[in-house]
Amino acid sequence: MFAYYLRLALASFRRNPGLTALMVFAIALGISVCMITLTSYRAAANNPAGDRSSILFAPSIDNWDPEQPYEQYDKTLAPTMLTYRDAKALYESNIPDRKLIMYKAGGIVSRADKGMEPEYIAARMTTADFFPMFQVPFLYGGSWDGKADIGPEPVVVLSKEMNRKAFGGVNSVGKSIVWHDREFRVIGVLDDFEPLPKYFDVSNGSFTDMEDAYIPFAWGPVLELGSDGNTNCWKTETIDSYKAFLNSECIWFHGWFELRTADKQRAFREFLDNYVVDQKKHGRFPRPLNNYLYDVDGWLKRNKVVEDDNKAVLVMAFAFLAVCLVNTIGLLLAKFLNGAPQSGVRRALGASRRDIFLQHLTESGVVALAGGIVGGLLGVTGIWALRAYYGRFVEDAPKLLPFDEINFVIVVAIAVFAGLIAGLYPAWRIGRAAPASYLKVQ
Amino acid sequence: MEIRPILSALLRNRAGAILVALQIAITLAIVVNAIYVTQQRVEKIGRPTGMDDQNIFSFTVTGFEKNFDFQAMVRDDMAMLRQMPGIVDAAPIRQVPLSGSGSSTGFFSLPNQKGEQSPANYYSTDEHGINTLGTKLSGGATFEPGMIEFRNEDKQGFPATAIISQGLAKALFKDKAALGNTFYDDQSKPYRVVGVIQHIHGSWVGWDKVDRVMLSPLVGPGPGTQYIVRTQPGEIDRVMTATETALRKRDPNRVVGKLRKMSDYKKRSYAGDSFMAVTLTTVTGLVLVFSALGIFGLATFNVNNRTRQIGTRRAVGARKRDIVRHFMTENWMVTTLGVVVGCILALGAGFWLSNQYQMPRLDLYYLLGGVLGLWAVGQFAAWQPSRRAAKVSPAMATRNI
Repeated sequence: MFAYYLRLALASFRRNPGLTALMVFAIALGISVCMITLTSYRAAANNPAGDRSSILFAPSIDNWDPEQPYEQYDKTLAPTMLTYRDAKALYESNIPDRKLIMYKAGGIVSRADKGMEPEYIAARMTTADFFPMFQVPFLYGGSWDGKADIGPEPVVVLSKEMNRKAFGGVNSVGKSIVWHDREFRVIGVLDDFEPLPKYFDVSNGSFTDMEDAYIPFAWGPVLELGSDGNTNCWKTETIDSYKAFLNSECIWFHGWFELRTADKQRAFREFLDNYVVDQKKHGRFPRPLNNYLYDVDGWLKRNKVVEDDNKAVLVMAFAFLAVCLVNTIGLLLAKFLNGAPQSGVRRALGASRRDIFLQHLTESGVVALAGGIVGGLLGVTGIWALRAYYGRFVEDAPKLLPFDEINFVIVVAIAVFAGLIAGLYPAWRIGRAAPASYLKVQ
Repeated sequence: MEIRPILSALLRNRAGAILVALQIAITLAIVVNAIYVTQQRVEKIGRPTGMDDQNIFSFTVTGFEKNFDFQAMVRDDMAMLRQMPGIVDAAPIRQVPLSGSGSSTGFFSLPNQKGEQSPANYYSTDEHGINTLGTKLSGGATFEPGMIEFRNEDKQGFPATAIISQGLAKALFKDKAALGNTFYDDQSKPYRVVGVIQHIHGSWVGWDKVDRVMLSPLVGPGPGTQYIVRTQPGEIDRVMTATETALRKRDPNRVVGKLRKMSDYKKRSYAGDSFMAVTLTTVTGLVLVFSALGIFGLATFNVNNRTRQIGTRRAVGARKRDIVRHFMTENWMVTTLGVVVGCILALGAGFWLSNQYQMPRLDLYYLLGGVLGLWAVGQFAAWQPSRRAAKVSPAMATRNI
């Protein structure tokens, strides 16, 4: 029966090719605009932590200016980075299953044997748990352990790309690079590692490039390295040395804590509050107690990784799709009523109302499928054009607008679903028409 | 004009009329809000930056060898760059305006954190900074060479003189003259204003205080800095290639970063706004076309369905003009229904947008414009089908179908 309905649908398209094309076109345009906005929305709304999202936590403790809140747009929020003192103190806690503190530092990397073109790189200064906590894949070697953090030992983990530039991509474990006039021994090389968005540190943008190297955190203070990312300060204090800078109220560190059970999560929240209350006794934390512990999902929301513009554009796009669909309903209605005499004949020959209804619903579905596929292709073309235009000056453009087969499938599915909804009323209406009136005049 | 027969004709095909009205309603809601938001973004993108932003490029230069002489590098590079053909001027600068990366700190009009206070985007540069950026001074002059301080290491505070933007001057000194006046940082260190810039934008275009800028006569801290170079109009691409070669040749023992145009930084900083504007403009255009097509489709359908009725009316004395007027009025009524519902939707959407996303509340003039526009679109789309209806011959009244 379905095959017969399909044949009828095709015959009906041949009867009014212009009207059919208009409907396909309407759905296609509506769906393509949705696809483009949905792609940028989904890229930003992605949570790369997967099922570890609910056990990885980032603290946000309010050590900001007593005169004004950290965020102007929402006065209840606390800073998203930590001072050196607080980072170290939280890292001392024994509650978490795993823990890390980190920041980003820059410097020129070279090889003692002059085997590479010197280059400015960004390095992530982190403690050892970074690699297991974020499930970082290794191509060669492995990460350092807690002992190397304390030393600190001069070891480095290179990104795949950095290893290609420095060592031509071969297994470089055991060789060394020079950074800030010091030799670091390569103990591991990463495989491709680029979570999008870069959830563990979004302070310089959610889609910025990964760091080129990973070096034990403690080297930062030893080499007196400032942050290559953001540094925010509020307090009036004399900072005349690196040591004074470390002891200041400036925030530039990130901390992550793996807390696998609800008990540990509760205990760590209490620990945060107790810590701040204790610090208040020493004259720090002048604002009211206001601490947060975000899981990855909450962290991405707190940092507005999905921007307001993303959401507004998405809403507009779906409203546009709604207009296209209402338009299609009108056109389908006109088209079906136009072909009413045929349906009258079919009814007279014994087809039930249900048959007529299903026949016309099939026709709507076919229109929608065609519209969905054309719209998907238009969407891909649009994404390609936007990438070509914005890619010239926005390095992140390809990551913000990925070519994603799943999006194509999603939008075609939305189109077919929407087309069927749109077909419901016209198909029902034509199924209800009395056959007699059409037969009379034939 | 009799409304009643038109109304009763309309009610016979309620579904079609309601669909078109609904379409017009959603269209109005989308178009009014989209145009309003687009207008704001386009205005934001088009603001003057106060700089010769189309003819400037910049790049980082970092030394890394031991015992590296930062001051000598900057001095010799500048001497070379400033005499290269096609280059108007060049200067070291720590960060680049419009680039999205910068520094800011708070200043006060009186010592001990008293008086007026304002944050400012600050840039460390030398006496060529003003000319290289292409900004105009409304008072005073650029730094004297003797004021410039070279620093090998980072430390708190700036040298004692400063050039500030009009925006910062207004915030700190209100109506008093800024030139020659003094302001203070949070450690009460005084800075004397030696020049006032008419207008300039800092690093973060989304910041509401983007026009509060301070230039400080400071080069460094070493071992790295950025250089900005201003070229003759149209020479930027040629000069960029020549610069890269010349710098490598002069001293290969430092790392020269990627050369970037200020115009590209500007486009990147406004990329979100331009993406928004492009998407919304596209949607607005398409949605208007589809609404017109929908109105056109319904009118055509009505005319086709009613040929006999039209023929009868013509046969009993209606003029062509009456038939056209009938269909135009019918269309106008449907559009009006849509517009009324649309106003409610548009206001609701505007309210929701401004509440949810901290956007300014929808301006009612836009709504008025949208209503008038959609009336016009409706009448335009119904014109051809109405003309066709008028051509129906009175003889149709005597035929079947």
